[in-house]
Amino acid sequence: MNQADPLVLPTAARAAEPLHVARGTRRPTAEPAPVRWLLIAAATLYLGLFLVLPLAAVFTQALQHGVAGYLAAVTEPAARDAIRLTLLTAAIVVPLNTLFGLAAAWAIARFRFAGRGLLRAAIPLPLAVSPVIAGLIFVLLLGARGPLGPWLADRGWPVIFAPPGVVIATLFVTLPLVAGELLPLLEALGAEEEEAAVLLGAGGWAVFWRVTLPNIKWGLLNGLILCNARAMGEFGAVSVVSGHVRGLTNTIPLHVEVLYNEYRFTDAFAVASLLTLLALVTLLVKHLAGEHTVAEPGAPRAGREAP
Amino acid sequence: MSVVVREVSKWFGAFRALDRVSLEVGRGELVALLGPSGSGKTTLLRVIAGLEAPDAGQIVIEGKDTTRQPARERGIGFVFQHYALFRHLTVFENVAFGLRVRPRGQRPSEPALRRRVAELLATVQLDGLADRYPAQLSGGQRQRVALARALAIEPRVLLLDEPFGALDAGVRRELRQWVRELLHELHLTALLVTHDQEEALEIADRLAILRAGRIEQVGAPREIYDQPANAFVCEFLGQTYRWPGAGTPTAAATEAPVAYVRPHELHLSREPAAGALAAEVRAVRLVGPQVRVQLALATPAAPLVEAHLTREQYAALALAAGERVYARPLRLYRFATNGVTRGPWR
Repeated sequence: MNQADPLVLPTAARAAEPLHVARGTRRPTAEPAPVRWLLIAAATLYLGLFLVLPLAAVFTQALQHGVAGYLAAVTEPAARDAIRLTLLTAAIVVPLNTLFGLAAAWAIARFRFAGRGLLRAAIPLPLAVSPVIAGLIFVLLLGARGPLGPWLADRGWPVIFAPPGVVIATLFVTLPLVAGELLPLLEALGAEEEEAAVLLGAGGWAVFWRVTLPNIKWGLLNGLILCNARAMGEFGAVSVVSGHVRGLTNTIPLHVEVLYNEYRFTDAFAVASLLTLLALVTLLVKHLAGEHTVAEPGAPRAGREAP
Repeated sequence: MSVVVREVSKWFGAFRALDRVSLEVGRGELVALLGPSGSGKTTLLRVIAGLEAPDAGQIVIEGKDTTRQPARERGIGFVFQHYALFRHLTVFENVAFGLRVRPRGQRPSEPALRRRVAELLATVQLDGLADRYPAQLSGGQRQRVALARALAIEPRVLLLDEPFGALDAGVRRELRQWVRELLHELHLTALLVTHDQEEALEIADRLAILRAGRIEQVGAPREIYDQPANAFVCEFLGQTYRWPGAGTPTAAATEAPVAYVRPHELHLSREPAAGALAAEVRAVRLVGPQVRVQLALATPAAPLVEAHLTREQYAALALAAGERVYARPLRLYRFATNGVTRGPWR
């Protein structure tokens, strides 16, 4: 990382260490070879059976009617409507939860206020509640027989069994993802750099853009990706509030279910492959972002110093 | 007066971090705040900077009451204990930060800014390192970047929180001499927090000794060392040992008066003398130029004290463990009560 730094020397020496170990001898702490091979084989087999195989199945099934059939399945009107609603939902939910997550994580990490502990404990709640229950809460609250339902219906704002319900349910289930990613990061960073910036004359806005955001950007990206993936893939909560109105309230996962129930397995897999691709891209970006989150804040904090 | 702290109190919940603290710092003066951990040194510094609001009292900087002024408007330079450098910015941008965030009208042009940062980097002897990131610097270098960054805004007052605390002993000694010279050269008013008494005695024009949120004594290092105001200051500053036989409690005090002796002010001899106590040599250790003789006084409690001799003095006496000597304090620090476990003072 920093060639000129004398700090690097001991690390380099440590890396060179295995050279002195005679070939064939194992480190004293390592398990015997058969045990290692057994463990590795078991892990690989398990992953293969429950992860790689289903994943491969999605794509092979999706392409059973050839590329043309695949394209037809993902571009038919119902599929396009589902994709549009999914993208719309994500486009509303992700920015809102990002703003909330930033504000909540910042407030909890930097200030002491009444209700701070409660807020902190409440944020992960949507992850603990079953998505079906989450959907049901909104049906009971905003549905035709709920306390707010008639009022909404009078004004011609249908929420349940309409796109707004899908957005609200998705908002609920993805609410903790950005805040949960940022809070530990902000707490680990501490407030000193921000205080230094303030004393140098920076206003709140400048402190956020010039100091806080650059320090948390990878964590924020990580949270965004997780939030987006969940927003696009959410099934349970959305299924309860959407009412499966084709072309109006079906998201991609709901559309997949509809196709499956109509025995159009190949089409179902074709549409499902879109979400699978999203998942793969998400994992890739998360992996890249994760490397930064781990490496960045730790490095300059190093307690040991070169002379 | 450059900085005036008037009757400042600060509570953290039920904990009183500062208790009616008053302190005046003259222009161009370097004052060290010295005290054990938890004595309120850093809190006082943060209150002056505006990072904490005092619950009572007043802060006046350069004749202006700044008690309610936001920290960002106070124009105070602050060097944090762990430097708090912006880790995502280069050394150059760290130093330039204070200039870049100025309101549009007061912001220097890019060439002027570059000149100013280059000047500052030259001042702190970091010319070649402008493009490095903080993580690529040694502790001493980071510390100097932090100093340059604080100086960039041309502060009226510089506050340093344990500025040498995280450095190795050698770098530390060298850097504090250098900082002292730099501050005097710039004629900058500075307050420095430290728990290292040697550091405080060495570089400060004046010392303020804090304990449990209160200032115990303020004065020149020599004055405080030679005339400690009370038993706490005496015990805290330098090595001291209780000397028996200080007297019995007077009518006014509930505790017995105490007397202290410093190891370098204890005279040893093989012959009894007036004011000397018999003692047994327990151990003799050579520490660099000094010979440290551990003694058990021949009084009922047999307290252990240490005497520091030069090598010559030691050679003349030729002491060995188990031998009997007579120890005579050249100087005793006497106090009416041992207030170390008792307060308030006076």
